[in-house]
Amino acid sequence: MSLTATPSMVRDSTRRRKRSGTHAVLTALPWLVPTLVLILGVVLYPAALMIYTSFFKYNNRGIQRGDAPVGLDNYIGTAGALTFPGVPVGRILLNTVLWVAVVVLITVVLSLALAQFLNLEFRGRKALRLFVILPWACSVVMTATVFRYGLQENVGLFNRLLVDTGILQRAQAWTKDPTSAFWVAVFVAIYVSLPFTTYTILAGLQAVPDDVREAAHVDGADGLRRYWFIVLPLLRPAIAVAALINIINVFNSLPILRLLQETPGYHTGHITTTLMFEYQRALGPGVSSALSVLNFIFCLVIIAIYLAIVQPTKEVA
Amino acid sequence: MHVNKRVLKFGAVALAGAFALSACGGSEPAATNSEPADPGSLETTIKILAPSYSDSSQADWQAIIDKFNETYPDVDVELQIEGWDGFTDKVSARIQAGDYPDILNDNAFAASADAGILYPMDEVLSADTLAAIEPSLLANGVGTDGTQWAAPDIASARMMAYNVDLFEAAGIAEPPKTWAELETAAEKLVALGDDVRGYGMPLGREEAQVESSLWLWGAGGDWADGEGLKADTPEATEAFAQMKKMYEAGYTQANLEDNRVDIADLFQAGKLGMMMAHSAIVADAEAKGVNVALAPIPAKDGGDGVALGVTDFIVAFDNGDADRKAATSAFLDLMYSDEMYEGWYKGTGLLPVTTSMIDKGKAESDENGAAFLEALSIVKFLPVGNPAWDVLQTALQGSAYKVGSGDPAEVLAEIQAQVDAQS
Repeated sequence: MSLTATPSMVRDSTRRRKRSGTHAVLTALPWLVPTLVLILGVVLYPAALMIYTSFFKYNNRGIQRGDAPVGLDNYIGTAGALTFPGVPVGRILLNTVLWVAVVVLITVVLSLALAQFLNLEFRGRKALRLFVILPWACSVVMTATVFRYGLQENVGLFNRLLVDTGILQRAQAWTKDPTSAFWVAVFVAIYVSLPFTTYTILAGLQAVPDDVREAAHVDGADGLRRYWFIVLPLLRPAIAVAALINIINVFNSLPILRLLQETPGYHTGHITTTLMFEYQRALGPGVSSALSVLNFIFCLVIIAIYLAIVQPTKEVA
Repeated sequence: MHVNKRVLKFGAVALAGAFALSACGGSEPAATNSEPADPGSLETTIKILAPSYSDSSQADWQAIIDKFNETYPDVDVELQIEGWDGFTDKVSARIQAGDYPDILNDNAFAASADAGILYPMDEVLSADTLAAIEPSLLANGVGTDGTQWAAPDIASARMMAYNVDLFEAAGIAEPPKTWAELETAAEKLVALGDDVRGYGMPLGREEAQVESSLWLWGAGGDWADGEGLKADTPEATEAFAQMKKMYEAGYTQANLEDNRVDIADLFQAGKLGMMMAHSAIVADAEAKGVNVALAPIPAKDGGDGVALGVTDFIVAFDNGDADRKAATSAFLDLMYSDEMYEGWYKGTGLLPVTTSMIDKGKAESDENGAAFLEALSIVKFLPVGNPAWDVLQTALQGSAYKVGSGDPAEVLAEIQAQVDAQS
């Protein structure tokens, strides 16, 4: 046999590779089917239905009115998602950006500090790690409900504490003012997002090799420089994952704002996700789907901006 | 990821629930019926969707179902009870899924009637049953097209309830009849101090439509405007201006967006002088030791005052199945029979709608209870039969509380704009 490959041999091997590729797909198929069915059933189909629904007119009981599609009426018509009278759309869009940005930023910064602390060796570290994870173990709805009742004007325990310690003169109805309720919700959202983020970063910290740090130490870098130039760059993938998941999670997080906002109607404490539910109740599934579609696009844009700025996939040398 | 886990868990619970439900469904064919009559051989499933009026609601419905199954052993009755909070969403979800309940107990019917997915009541209720319902209440279930689309199943009247002890302490001799007297009374009550409020004004999601209607009627106005409904009338502006005045003077509770329950809590704690109340609130307050008396609701210039009637309804959805329709019909006739209805309506803590039970109730109940029953024949109703009401009601629930900080005319204009945008 000669050592140079003949054209027929090359053809042969590509064909074999192709055949084995198809074969591999075929063998994998039985294992992929459940996932594919799931993606088709719970992701693609509802998304398609949502987009479809947003082009038809419904009343607020969800009964379709008329068979003809109504174009962009549900988006920008007289009763459209962006143009319905009495809805402070600009403010709500701003709220949405604030909500995601503030919650994710503060969460990540606090988590970095917490993770650094939990990475130290000290007595009772295991117990403390357990406590930090607790808010995660509680249902979000339950946590939000506890805050809602605690902040209730007449019987709320947090209010009582604030008044008794002299921080406040009078009890406040925190959850009945759109603005204060919004910031309370931001606080609660940070509280429930901390455990996951802290643990992701903690895992990242534990992957930072000791010898690299020691080498920097030997080279004379002080603590702050070691953290900034050595640890933080190595944490990049962990932070990227934590931030990305938090962005999606916080953006879609309904229960906190829904439970903590007690003001009815189209007030100035909504984000687009809660506004969607307000629309569903008042204007029916057409308009609310239209807003969902916009929401979906909005979420994609935020993630795209994030990816463009942070470039988390960029390899760290 | 924790989100996925939660979704999975939820899915598992829902699935298990669905299995449990279908497991309950299959019942054994009953012993052979001696007569070849229809009841025993009717074999189908009917679905009921009802709100929870009280802790006993499930049991109250079940009692009727058990009795029904004695005659119709092969009809499965699937009962779903949901809380009032978000009940509309549950109904919408069922409608959107095409899973119409055969029997729905709700407080609105116009949108479904308008969409043509209901049976007219005279097709499912027998003539005797229809005749047994108090005519003034039955009229409330007539749509704008003149068809009886819904039958009232429970009523409540709103009158002004006041705390007699607070009134005495403040030196108020008579319950107020005019707006001016109402202000004076509220001022005296607030002057008592100790966080006592004069008048409870719930403009939150639950009650805004009721509270604002009462003030509108007090100003001599009405929502009805020819075929449609109109919010920004001069009378409504006057009514909202008066509500704002009460709020700004500090006569009301601190947050106008409070719901009825918040106000009822204040009243039952003896911290509130006056509120528009229904029988259950009065009964609860009395049980908590508050000395309550009732009066007609004050109007701008006095006169007889107003009382508001609210009825909830039974509607029957058209599922295009003769067997289910027959079973639905038989079930509803049984439900409205004196024997079954008495226990059922008492369980709700509200007022009955059949003439025989209203008369019986008047004879049995105390002074306050009888006053509500008397009021049933003079009450004014919200325009629930008009499809536009759904829209106006939602707009009121979302915006009426803004009168506290905004200009009355502007608030009403915004409400009107929301209504117009959907017509």
